[in-house]
Amino acid sequence: MTGTAARTADRPAAALRAVRKSYGPVTVLDIPELELARGRITCLVGENGAGKSTLMGVLAGTVSPTSGEVLIADRPLQPGRPDHAKALGVSLVAQEFPLVGRLSVAENLLLGRRTRAAQGAGALRRALFDRAGTHREARELLADVGVEGVDVDLPVERLPVPLRQMIEIAKAWGNRPLVLILDEPTSSLGPVEAGKVLALARRHAADGGAVLFIGHRLDEVREVADRVLVLRGGRPVADLTPAEATEERMIREMVGGELARDLAASRAPAPARTVLTARGLTADGLGPVDLELRAGEIVGVAGLMGAGRSRLLHTLMGAQPRTGGEVELGGRPFRPRHPADAVAAGIGLVPEDRKEQSLLLSHSVRWNATLATLRRDSWHGVITPGGDRARSRRIIGDLGVRLHSQEQPIGDLSGGNQQKVVFGRWLHAAPEVLLLDEPTRGVDVGAKAEIYRLVDRAAADGLAVLAASSELEELLWVCHRILVMAHGRVVADLPRELFSKERIMTAATSRPEPAASTEATV
Amino acid sequence: MTTRTAPAPEKAGAPSRSRLRTLVDTPEVGVVLACFVVFATLALARDTFASAVNLQGMGADLAQYGLIAIGESLVILTGGIDLSVGALLGTSVILMSWFNVRAGLPVGLAVPATLAVAGLVGLVHGLAVTRLRMPPFVVTLVTYTVAQGVTLAITSGTSIIGISPFFGDIGQSYLAQVPVPLVLFAVVAFAAWFFLERTYAGRQVYAVGGNPEAARLAGIRGDRRVVSMYVTSSLMSAFAGMLVLGRMGVGSASGVGVGWELTAIAAAVIGGVSLTGGQGRVLGIVAGAVLLELINNGLTTLQVNSDYTNIVLGCVLGLAITADRLRARHVARRS
Repeated sequence: MTGTAARTADRPAAALRAVRKSYGPVTVLDIPELELARGRITCLVGENGAGKSTLMGVLAGTVSPTSGEVLIADRPLQPGRPDHAKALGVSLVAQEFPLVGRLSVAENLLLGRRTRAAQGAGALRRALFDRAGTHREARELLADVGVEGVDVDLPVERLPVPLRQMIEIAKAWGNRPLVLILDEPTSSLGPVEAGKVLALARRHAADGGAVLFIGHRLDEVREVADRVLVLRGGRPVADLTPAEATEERMIREMVGGELARDLAASRAPAPARTVLTARGLTADGLGPVDLELRAGEIVGVAGLMGAGRSRLLHTLMGAQPRTGGEVELGGRPFRPRHPADAVAAGIGLVPEDRKEQSLLLSHSVRWNATLATLRRDSWHGVITPGGDRARSRRIIGDLGVRLHSQEQPIGDLSGGNQQKVVFGRWLHAAPEVLLLDEPTRGVDVGAKAEIYRLVDRAAADGLAVLAASSELEELLWVCHRILVMAHGRVVADLPRELFSKERIMTAATSRPEPAASTEATV
Repeated sequence: MTTRTAPAPEKAGAPSRSRLRTLVDTPEVGVVLACFVVFATLALARDTFASAVNLQGMGADLAQYGLIAIGESLVILTGGIDLSVGALLGTSVILMSWFNVRAGLPVGLAVPATLAVAGLVGLVHGLAVTRLRMPPFVVTLVTYTVAQGVTLAITSGTSIIGISPFFGDIGQSYLAQVPVPLVLFAVVAFAAWFFLERTYAGRQVYAVGGNPEAARLAGIRGDRRVVSMYVTSSLMSAFAGMLVLGRMGVGSASGVGVGWELTAIAAAVIGGVSLTGGQGRVLGIVAGAVLLELINNGLTTLQVNSDYTNIVLGCVLGLAITADRLRARHVARRS
């Protein structure tokens, strides 16, 4: 199945030498030596944040490494130059497709490239857009990757997501790359298209190219890999042959081998009243989900990227339309149509992306701290500056935010301090339920601990917390119970006694049930 | 001279370092200073510039532009833009005089009726922007075009004469030597300041303009704020139209309000209002309007060919934007 013996003796298609990538003091990638052989499929696995995307970006030229050298076919890659990487023969199929939505399928497929007919032609021919040639080559390309019945004149934005993923793959394929990088290419595909993608990867290897396959379904990885590389904390921790790469082994290497320590079950919650109940909750890409949340309980939500964690929180918050199911809050039916309804009913949300979803970056710490409670704290709609300052000072003081002045722009603070302000905003609102979406993302270690201590203290006072996080360690440390999500559903509900990384990862990487798969019109 | 001005920057004898820094960080300082400098220069250059008559004329002019600049700024703060303010002002002038003269309505009905029409237009803007997610530029461009057409259609190019003396009383009289329009402008400016700085709804306007998603997830019903700002902007146009009608004495369709939206936008931008939304204060907007009026009037006083006026105003706008960028970069680099 793999390349011929003669090919394996060839020079590597790509090589990384002592590549490091750091953001400030944090090293996110540290690869002493890595070679991608021609004719082989190298699979890359790791937890969220293990450095997979960074490694991929370094190879594709979108991330410039802090130090080290990247060679493509023995030629050094100029760092941070995606165009150079492409010229050297690297093609990347990203998870978020950089397709131009308004342009047609054909135009997207040949974007940044000339048709064969135009390549040999004179200056005028080359300057003009070769419509017929574009159509012809686009159709050939689609047929080549096994997509049929697509009108190449259709704007890409009108296609369903799985089909767009296939177009993106065809586009990369059309560049005739030496190194083909596939970043979780099957995450949005049903089984049939997934099979086509895997076949394509094999074909590319058989033709003598190198494939770097970033996988999240371990069964697929096992199916396709000639070699499995496991990343953890930015470092390669295991280099496995297909025979060695059992799912158990991969998971063990991904999570670090150590079993979940029993963290002195100090905070077993007293059997308290149920605050929030959801039954058959559905939304776009979510559910049906059943869950129950008790006062004083911290419940974690684990799962891989795209498993529906954020969707669950956003649907509970009323920030994403609910399509079905019932939610009860404090025993009463709860049907938020806007987050404002949720806030009024006693729910708060610390969103995933501080910059995009939480903060008014150019405004003061004070404004950010009191944002969610402006109306409640106003006197007939009027905010007195003194009152506003006093409240903000209390919020900042309670959370130990380190700053010069509450009037300084919040953008000046460190990630940890920014996040504390967001927490303070909600704790000041005194909700009954607090939803946390990646509460410690981009937060330094010290602040992480402080934030979790705050969560813990608030829970001890009766707050119910639902925390979605990619950081398993943290969930294991702080939660009373962990829900594992996959494909928009809760696939496991683990009490503290059953906590283990292996169990969570196994559940999170399980195959979708046939009913949940998205079959496209391919 | 007009409304409240900045805490006089030069006066500080030994200001604490942080106080001085706060002042430097205040984006409005530059415009306010520029107002003083331009005023002083022109007053020295021509005696007539600072004469009572000229000041009164400038005050009345300022009120017209200033009112729509405030309305415009409220929309810009939400992250939108209102291209219709000038055209709607022109239509309001005609509509008000038409109601008053042709329809024979008393002032007490003609004015509210016009305000209601304008308010409705603003409501349509707001709903189109929030519910239908239409780009504000396009929505208000439609009104811009239609309103100019309506103005001409009603009058067929002629003026409507014989309006109630009430309009003259509002537009042309003085309160202790101060033009009444200017007094009204000051009242509106104060109200806008109070709304933005002292009410929760005002703070929410900034939040929506600064980061709509963050505002939404913090439980702020941003759409309501946006709609009400479009309504307010249109009401400001009609209100300013009433003052313009009073000053002209007849309902004339000839070029009234044409291009004024650009003056309004320029005043806002010069005053430090960010076109991306969420940033800007009333002090700056007022100072921006004052500066534009000073320059406009100053060029007339200096007998500069009026053909050059727009060149100068355009350069001032370019300068203001550049200065603001440099200041923002300086602040960003320091932190």
